[in-house]
Amino acid sequence: MNASVEAVGLGKRYGKRWALKDCTLTIPSGRVVGLVGPNGAGKTTLMHLAVGLLAPSAGEITVLGDRPGSDPAVLERLGFLAQDSPTYARLTVRQHLQMGEWLNPRWDAEFAAGRIDALGLDPSQRAGTLSGGQRAQLALTLAVAKRPELLVLDEPVASLDPLARREFLQTLMEVVAVQGVSVVLSSHLIADLERVCDYVVVLVTGRVVLTGDVDELLASHHRITGPRRDPASLPSSQQVIEASHAERQSSFVVRTSEPILDPVWTVTPLTLDDLVLAYMRRDRDAVASTTTGLAVAR
Amino acid sequence: MTRFAWLQARTQSLAVGALLAALAITTAITGVQLAHLYHSLVVPCQTGCDLAQNDFLSHDAFLQDALVLLMRLAPGVIGIFWGAPLVTRELESGTFRLAWTQSVSRTRWVLTKLAVVGLTSVAVSGLLSLMVTWWFRAIDLVNLNQYGTFDMRDIAPIGYGAFAFAIGALLGAVIRRTLPAMAATLGAFVFARVAVTLWVRPNLLVPRHLSSSLGGAEQFGFMSRNGGTPELIAKGSAGPNSWTLSTHFVTSSGHVASASELKAFVHQYCPQIGPPPGGPPPGKSVVAPGIPEAFQNCRAAAGRTYHLVVTYIPAGRYWTLQWLELGVFLALAALALAGCFWWVTRRTN
Amino acid sequence: MIEFHLDPTSGVATYQQLVQQVHQALQLGLLEPGDRLPTAQQVVSSLAINPNTVLKAYRDLEREGLVRAKPGLGTFVVGRLPRTDPVEQARFRRSMAAWLRSARGAGLSIDEIEAIYRTAIRDCLGEGVA
Repeated sequence: MNASVEAVGLGKRYGKRWALKDCTLTIPSGRVVGLVGPNGAGKTTLMHLAVGLLAPSAGEITVLGDRPGSDPAVLERLGFLAQDSPTYARLTVRQHLQMGEWLNPRWDAEFAAGRIDALGLDPSQRAGTLSGGQRAQLALTLAVAKRPELLVLDEPVASLDPLARREFLQTLMEVVAVQGVSVVLSSHLIADLERVCDYVVVLVTGRVVLTGDVDELLASHHRITGPRRDPASLPSSQQVIEASHAERQSSFVVRTSEPILDPVWTVTPLTLDDLVLAYMRRDRDAVASTTTGLAVAR
Repeated sequence: MTRFAWLQARTQSLAVGALLAALAITTAITGVQLAHLYHSLVVPCQTGCDLAQNDFLSHDAFLQDALVLLMRLAPGVIGIFWGAPLVTRELESGTFRLAWTQSVSRTRWVLTKLAVVGLTSVAVSGLLSLMVTWWFRAIDLVNLNQYGTFDMRDIAPIGYGAFAFAIGALLGAVIRRTLPAMAATLGAFVFARVAVTLWVRPNLLVPRHLSSSLGGAEQFGFMSRNGGTPELIAKGSAGPNSWTLSTHFVTSSGHVASASELKAFVHQYCPQIGPPPGGPPPGKSVVAPGIPEAFQNCRAAAGRTYHLVVTYIPAGRYWTLQWLELGVFLALAALALAGCFWWVTRRTN
Repeated sequence: MIEFHLDPTSGVATYQQLVQQVHQALQLGLLEPGDRLPTAQQVVSSLAINPNTVLKAYRDLEREGLVRAKPGLGTFVVGRLPRTDPVEQARFRRSMAAWLRSARGAGLSIDEIEAIYRTAIRDCLGEGVA
């Protein structure tokens, strides 16, 4: 299977601050990929680099086999929905579709008109007077109707109410089912992504801390609870991601490809949420200890 | 992309178009009336025409002032409202993230927008100038001051409109916020106009010189700076519709008199001439009051020592100068447009 | 046609929930051989889940021999779940009712009865344990 996005040592710097640093990842195509991370983790930066709105300060990135930029041949195959669904407030819905038709050679006018109809949007209404959910749906229609191979969506549901959020994801999944587009969408809420993503990339302060197929990750990670123990005493086939101890009890999140047979452990399932949080906390602790390490060394 | 750029610019262009149409109707009606008036009042006049001319010039005074104001403001307004927001509005509202991920290159995007709105700006400036120039033609025939209204007639305003738009687009792309960009555009435009008017335009053509006696001077008098000893001043003319750049007092041997020499002359030969009690406002030319005889004597004395040399641009060079001024502003506009283009396409941020 | 629903808090994987709902529908007679399952597009358009999840569930059901995918036409039910004799079911229902009456008579609350039931299911039948 091809990769839709490939980054090697990718970095982006603003003045002295690195918004994204040493980012190396391969996002497979044909999936719905969730890009997760707290605010300021570099999700938007990564997406803007992928669609050619930004140029890298270090490393390189290829999207659908090409270097992203303002080359129309590359832009044709991408669909992008920026944060807060920007639209031209003074133009009507119909005029937005016209723009899509004029500016995109692969524009599917019938699909676009059908979508607007199904959504119940008034074509002569100005985009500035639409609700947040309607604007997001309009922007999604614009991105999908240009028949891209890859859809990149930056926090598309962040500012939507629950009903609008659900309707947006329904539309998106329908598009995936029918057209088979690859999707990369970001959110800082994992709950949003759990339903729809089958591949996840976790970013924290500009670095990748976890990537993988969701089913695989959930199958290979477990929470085990039992009598108090030192994490180092666990077998080497069980990689400890997180450990927490109470007076007489220890609880570990472990990664292992082998079944856990030791009867002393109670094994409970992990949600994607738990899993991602465990990795984020682990990264935060690792960063903290290196900084203190530096302080001590000095 | 051309159609979309026009779609974005459509509302404001149509609004301006409607205003121009209204202006066209107004100027057409009143302009024809003015022409009739000119032919009935001014043309048949044989002697004592000053009265007839003043009478004629006093008609439609409000519209005269209004059109002058319009010509002064229009290019600046174009720059602020069409140039500055061109790129800035998209940057500020985030719609550039929508526009630059459609299937057009950024080069094509910016070139098309600049071309569509830029050409509209030029067209508007041109039409406006055409209407105003046509309306004023009878008045200009009476006033014979074509260099005085130089920047409000004919083709020079086209350059101003183009430049105002271009500098607005460039500053908008760099500053990225609408209101500061508009303010900067206004400032840059005003500065450029003032700078070219004061320092560039007088040097675009090689001036001619004309010698004449003091008697033929348009104005002759005394000027006292800061309440000190007055010096001689005069303003010569090289004929109607010409542009006097400067007038100098020159001795018979060809020496150009300096200000201190002129002061010394007054001190020596015109002792009764002095600043009136209380002192005149500095910098104003004073016709010494209440001593007409002394004034005439002084004038005669000056006439024996000095003659005037007027440096001027002849009437016939008017159109050459118009093309040069247009050229200067089109060149500046081209630079600004190139800068805007480079800024938008090269700096990916 | 069956309508799926999703319980995100149950801790059961989405595709498994779909499989279970098909099993239940077959059990209750709501689905019969020849019925067509909803397309992936229809399911995701109402549930907002990944289409691959639906395809995975349908593949599992196909492996169990309960459904078959006919390209271009859809996925159809082809099998039945083994069902016990209704007479047998009625016999167990009567003995359960008797047990419940004696438990209530001994003073057990409904919660206690449910706890006993769940523990018994877990210990004796060994399902649902990680």
